Amino acid sequence: MKKEELITKLKTIVKPYIQDEEAFRNLNEDTDFINDLKINSANLVDVILDVEDEFKIEIDNDSMEKMLSVKAAMEIIETKLAQK
Amino acid sequence: MIGNDIVDLNLAKTQSNWQRKGFLEKQFTESEHAEILNSENPFLKVWLFWSMKEAAYKCYVQEFQKRFFAPKKFSCKLVSNQKGIVEIENNLYYLENLISENYIHSIATKKNNLKVISQLFFIAEKIFSTKTINQKLVSFFPAEVQLQKNEIGIPSLYQNQAKLPVSISKSHHGNYGAFAFSM
Repeated sequence: MKKEELITKLKTIVKPYIQDEEAFRNLNEDTDFINDLKINSANLVDVILDVEDEFKIEIDNDSMEKMLSVKAAMEIIETKLAQK
Repeated sequence: MIGNDIVDLNLAKTQSNWQRKGFLEKQFTESEHAEILNSENPFLKVWLFWSMKEAAYKCYVQEFQKRFFAPKKFSCKLVSNQKGIVEIENNLYYLENLISENYIHSIATKKNNLKVISQLFFIAEKIFSTKTINQKLVSFFPAEVQLQKNEIGIPSLYQNQAKLPVSISKSHHGNYGAFAFSM
């Protein structure tokens, strides 16, 4: 999967949970889910469950621990997809 | 060290679906999971445990200066609904919870019976929430005291470029804002 395609899919996933429209419009690899998009931490688990559903992967606890930014999410998704 | 968290229960009802597949498994230990399902009010128990974990996390982050998302690592034990303990990697945090019809507020401290000052308030205008919380918090200190966040987002108080020896914690959810600090 191309990077742009992955970012587009992630953008669709996080959209319902974001609370900062401007940061969402400018979403890039360096965007932080909590500090930039202001996603409520209780909704971070929804992002993770949605990622699992969308990409048909399982995100283990160690990977979940790092899922705080777009970049980290992309790396985890790529690794899990490669393991399939 | 101090951490606090507020959950707006009316918002939690619509913002999250705790009955969603995987929701409990990802965030709660087996014993918490069982306690939630056996509870008379599972919804309230979910958010009580969540609020305790989040408050303890805010303490932990100040101490170890690293961010992560691992709610399951914070294991909650309730002495009563008002008092509890959260444990992570042999670190203990003492929790005081305030539960009302509309919100849950949890305060975690590293030392038991630490003197804590906290305030909880209704926020009508959500766009001003950060400003409101910050203003209320700094009003407890001399006029020249300012709030600053470090590179990982942890807030501290500064006076003339010097960091004050005060542990502070802020929280906001829906229509509620809160802060807590200890000297």
